[in-house]
Amino acid sequence: MSARKKPDSQVPAEESDLLLIRPLGAGQEVGRSCIMLEFKGKKIMLDCGIHPGLSGMDALPFVDLIEADEIDLLLISHFHLDHCGALPWFLQKTSFKGRCFMTHATKAIYRWLLSDYIKVSNIATEQMLYTEADLESSMDKIETINFHEEKDVFGIKFWAYNAGHVLGAAMFMIEIAGVKILYTGDFSRQEDRHLMAAEIPNVHPDVLITESTYGTHIHEKREERESRFTALVHDIVNRGGRCLIPVFALGRAQELLLILDEYWSQHPELHDIPIYYASSLAKKCMAVYQTYVNAMNDKIRRQIAINNPFVFRHISNLKGIDHFEDIGPCVVMASPGMMQSGLSRELFESWCTDSKNGVIIAGYCVEGTLAKTILSEPEEITTMSGQKLPLKMSVDYISFSAHTDYQQTSEFIRILKPPHVVLVHGEQNEMSRLKAALQREYEDDPSTKMELHNPRNTVAVELYFRGEKTAKVMGTLAMEKPRPGHKLSGILVKRNFNYHMLAACDLSKYTDMTMSQVVQRQSVHYSGALPVLRLLLSQVSGNVEMLEEKKMRVFQSVDITLDNKIVMLEWIATPVNDMYADAVLAAVMQAEILDTTPSFFPIQSKMDRMHFKECLIEMLQEMFGEDSVPKIFKGEKLYVTVDGKKANIDLLNLEVCCEEDEAFQQIVQTAVTKLYQSLAPPRTD
Amino acid sequence: MTSIIKLHAISGAMDESPPCYILQVDDFRILLDCGWDENFDQDFMKELRRYIHQIDAVLLSYPDPLHLGALPYLVGKCGLNCSIYATIPVYKMGQMFMYDLYQSRHNMEEFELFTLDDVDAAFDKIIQLKYNQSVPMKGKGYGLTVTPLPAGHMIGGTIWKIVKVGEEDIVYAVDFNHKKERHLNGSELERLQRPSLVITDAFNATYKQTRRRARDEKLMTNILQTLRSNGNVLITVDTAGRVLELAHMLDQLWRNKDSGLLAYSLALLNNVSYNVVEFAKSQIEWMSDKLMRTFEGARNNPFQFKHLQLCHSIAELSRVPSPKVVLASTPDMECGFSRELFLQWSSNPHNSIIITNRTSPGTLARQLIENGGNVPLNLEIRRRVRLEGAELEEYQRKERENKEKSQEKNEDLDMSDESEDEMDSLSSVAKGKHDLLVKAETKVQTGFFKSNKKQYPMFPFFEEKVKFDEYGEIIRPEDYKMVDSNPEAEDNKENVDLKEEEITADITEVPTKCISVTKTVRVMAQVQYIDFEGRSDGESLQKILEQLHPRRLILVRGTPDSTHAMLNHCRQWNGVRVFAPSRGEVVDATTETYIYQVRLTDALVSALELKKGKEAELAWLDAQIVVRDMSKDAKPVTMDVDDIDKEEEEKGKMEIDQIYTLEPLPLNQVVGHQTAFINELKLSDFRQVLNKNSIPSEFSGGVLWCCNGTIALRRHEAGRVILEGCLSEDYYRVRELLYDQYAIV
Repeated sequence: MSARKKPDSQVPAEESDLLLIRPLGAGQEVGRSCIMLEFKGKKIMLDCGIHPGLSGMDALPFVDLIEADEIDLLLISHFHLDHCGALPWFLQKTSFKGRCFMTHATKAIYRWLLSDYIKVSNIATEQMLYTEADLESSMDKIETINFHEEKDVFGIKFWAYNAGHVLGAAMFMIEIAGVKILYTGDFSRQEDRHLMAAEIPNVHPDVLITESTYGTHIHEKREERESRFTALVHDIVNRGGRCLIPVFALGRAQELLLILDEYWSQHPELHDIPIYYASSLAKKCMAVYQTYVNAMNDKIRRQIAINNPFVFRHISNLKGIDHFEDIGPCVVMASPGMMQSGLSRELFESWCTDSKNGVIIAGYCVEGTLAKTILSEPEEITTMSGQKLPLKMSVDYISFSAHTDYQQTSEFIRILKPPHVVLVHGEQNEMSRLKAALQREYEDDPSTKMELHNPRNTVAVELYFRGEKTAKVMGTLAMEKPRPGHKLSGILVKRNFNYHMLAACDLSKYTDMTMSQVVQRQSVHYSGALPVLRLLLSQVSGNVEMLEEKKMRVFQSVDITLDNKIVMLEWIATPVNDMYADAVLAAVMQAEILDTTPSFFPIQSKMDRMHFKECLIEMLQEMFGEDSVPKIFKGEKLYVTVDGKKANIDLLNLEVCCEEDEAFQQIVQTAVTKLYQSLAPPRTD
Repeated sequence: MTSIIKLHAISGAMDESPPCYILQVDDFRILLDCGWDENFDQDFMKELRRYIHQIDAVLLSYPDPLHLGALPYLVGKCGLNCSIYATIPVYKMGQMFMYDLYQSRHNMEEFELFTLDDVDAAFDKIIQLKYNQSVPMKGKGYGLTVTPLPAGHMIGGTIWKIVKVGEEDIVYAVDFNHKKERHLNGSELERLQRPSLVITDAFNATYKQTRRRARDEKLMTNILQTLRSNGNVLITVDTAGRVLELAHMLDQLWRNKDSGLLAYSLALLNNVSYNVVEFAKSQIEWMSDKLMRTFEGARNNPFQFKHLQLCHSIAELSRVPSPKVVLASTPDMECGFSRELFLQWSSNPHNSIIITNRTSPGTLARQLIENGGNVPLNLEIRRRVRLEGAELEEYQRKERENKEKSQEKNEDLDMSDESEDEMDSLSSVAKGKHDLLVKAETKVQTGFFKSNKKQYPMFPFFEEKVKFDEYGEIIRPEDYKMVDSNPEAEDNKENVDLKEEEITADITEVPTKCISVTKTVRVMAQVQYIDFEGRSDGESLQKILEQLHPRRLILVRGTPDSTHAMLNHCRQWNGVRVFAPSRGEVVDATTETYIYQVRLTDALVSALELKKGKEAELAWLDAQIVVRDMSKDAKPVTMDVDDIDKEEEEKGKMEIDQIYTLEPLPLNQVVGHQTAFINELKLSDFRQVLNKNSIPSEFSGGVLWCCNGTIALRRHEAGRVILEGCLSEDYYRVRELLYDQYAIV
């Protein structure tokens, strides 16, 4: 728990009602997802990605705005670089000492994806954020969480839902002190070949942090999209051409492989046409796909009982262009997906001049890449070596991107009805379009109040949640039914934002804590006599109780034993008793320094009642005149008469009674009590 | 406010019968496991049937028949109809267990207690969960949540936590294993703190385990010795639980080049071995951290076996060259391949039979454990054989008659029925084979892609297949084949004539009948029991329970001796009520718990002086209950009324109405209270604190002496600490440090 408090805040962070959501990346942009949550003194980081368009330190999210060592929890939604790319750096190169979680599949793929990223990023070593060794050692710091499994870290409760998107992608529900926040990461509500649709949580979050990549776009139906794709591939190979599908190595590629493998097995006439998949990374990760089928949809899970759908029958792996015999129609899936360089670029350049060939762009392309350029169907293209080539092959675009579209997002929000929606992970324009569309949707609906936020990077959204605090009264304290005015005294136990109220004696019954007793024995040298000590003690405490010959008790709590020039004090430690003991100690010391033994020891444990009576009469005479009080009286009754009013005084319990005049009664009562107090020895009870 | 809690032990109490209990929390009845013993005890079922319609939920702990064996019968034949909860591996592997059990029984007798359809129907009812996933109960069980926690022992093995919010947390933990194994993590039982009720077994209470390494070595030596003397090793294991541990361990052993095992074969034999291994491969996330790490690091699936050959029948097994080690189900040897192999191999003194599990008393495996080998056993041998001669003719005649009859019927009926009839015949075929996929080839394709080139060990050379000889006669390769010398046949001459039948035994299409003969078998082979049960032993069990320190404890399943031993041990702890019901008994474990909820005002919370204690913060509170207008601060300010959840909202409102608010008591009304020191101090810990503050201290006769013997700290039982010393500055320093160790309220 972070003990550090900001100097300017009055309330301790733990009691504050302020929830801060601050994007350190992915605020009005796509890439380097990193969102900070701060609530009740807890700090949580969601994702820690890099910007694919930037390199070195520039690609990092704005982590210099936070203190890494204050973060309690770091959650990674899925294995894409823009969500986990900066993780090894953050775990190894900063002072972060919280805990980090991701799903099993994400962790297994993360290892290989980043290792590949390190290999292909061709920047100087000193600019590299981390090395293979850092990545390897970061693995030990990452813990895994299964979908729906509830974890509790420092009082932060969280669990994961399936998000669709890619294998192992998770949405996190985070609950702090009763306030629930749902972070979707990247998600898709459309079930596909191997992944299930993102689940809809059955609890309503108070805040929804959602992606907005596709803004207000609406995707084509899955069946249409698939049949368009397979028809296109079939068409290209039928006309004797070569079909190139540039793909990103992991994620959507597996979906395309499943579609092609199924299509091929349904069309025996195609069996002579080879399908190649050229990615060593994907080959490495296939084992992961074959293993974590439990994170996939029901269809795959049922099929696994019969055979593993990820053992492809019609698809061969291609190590590289050297192993490729280009002899006739074929289908090749090659990375990278945007044909910046590498195998997909090489194949494209050698095939683009033949009109029989075709290329199918299957994913999201960034401005400035070759994939984006050819979508506008230019006459010629520039090769890597600078040569110009005519573009004759067919170019098609079919998006298989598994991000939510407007329809899905809108439906998702309609079901969850979160009072606050925070948009992240989307380009500025797309995001504001989505915000406007959602606002329009709820503008005429008075029953739903929804606030939409689209914060820029480093700008925090501030929300206030007046957390209601309830306590459970348990055990002997709760035996009596509660009713207004009932008084409760007990111990309040606070654990992870939960309060319980218990009687002290029940503590060990309901918690693992136990009550203890501390007994103190203090010895001090004392050379004087016992009576002197007793005298001084009685001056301090009034009543000295003799237990044995040389043992006495004062204040009904401190035992004093005099034994062979040593005085020993013994008491059960409580703040009050400690104070008494100190007073007793002072008395002992004082007795020690009295060098002359006083000759007179009044053993005055009882007060002199006669003396009191005399004093009382004298006082009353002074107050009300000589005649107000009878000169002689017997027993414990006395009366005062002033102006014909008579007040009776009971000396035993010091009660004054005057039926005619209340004010008079008060005056006499005060006088009597005060006198008694000044004459009587001090009382301790 | 108090929940009624009762446990009815239907089976598995004061004896070794399978666990089956009904836990009642108020009106909600939960069936905890429903095991069935190896011989399908009918008395137990009769008892359970009486309560079947009262059950609201079933929780399953492990996938073996001992914990869920009765489920298909209950669902299929008794009409159990409620939600059943289990983890994903328990669901998957449980199904494998039941398929294998059914098939094993079916191979030797007419088995009619349940069908494969009952198995499917029962498992379709299972709601699959992950560890630590909390599931709220509905209806009568409103307010109850159940959570599965890792238990070790078998994949997906579960300790169930049943929580009634704020009042009760009940832990049902049987057969757990706290130790890490090769493929599983240990249980996380110790992490639970002071549950109100623990239900656990005393099966291992008096049992002492040798160390794991010693057991591994014993197994290794046994295997090596037997194989070297040209004998076969039969290891009896279960279908899909403990077998994973053994299979993984043996395959790793075989991979070790120095082990000298490469020359021999290793096989896994049960009816569903292919599926079990496939499922194991896809459940890595349920296994040990170590396996998961190696998978993440090296990507080879630990259950992608290199040496273990998967077999589904005796015929397939006979193709595996001898000498060999065979892992065969079932562990009790009452049925299945383990029994068949036992009958074949036991008469050869070179062979070895290793039993890994103590099954129910009376089973063959248990008899062997108790009596050892080398005693004559009277065994009933049952098997399914093909009909022959007159019997076959009779059968065929009847079939024909039936067919004719049905044809006659068909003719009477409308056309529309024909298609139905077709459907029927289709489904009957499906029934016979079921969806149990038994792959014929034992080699599983290891690549992920089709290999794009054919690979030849030498220069490609195609041998033309000759279909017929020079005279035009068709060549049948079978005619030219040497008669397969059966390795088993050499071992056991008696069995030569049985051989043929066994090969055909699992062919269901041909008409068959079941026969039964009783014969005396003299066990010559070496018989050894090596514990691979994967359960915590008695000593650890006691330690774990002591640490858990439940308020109430119910001991079930275990011999009377071990139960009583455990009972006596647990009674020594203070504050624990221990029960040990016998079979059929109902234990009332209700405690008086009072509880209600109050709302805390901001003024109250901000005025609290919280002191840090162990894991929690504490404060003394003097307050009084008042009624407040709740409309203002009932909910977080941002929350708005949901239309959809109106019903819920209303329910919530009603609850809120009952909630009183707690306000601080005015200062003048506060009466003083006895100060409480909270924490239990250990002198050794305090010594470290002293050291940190550079105050010298030393232990002598249980007393901690500080500051050159001027101050002494003693600790009495029941948390009483005595601080003793002469007046000095150090005294106050030590006292201050001592006070710091407590939360003082």
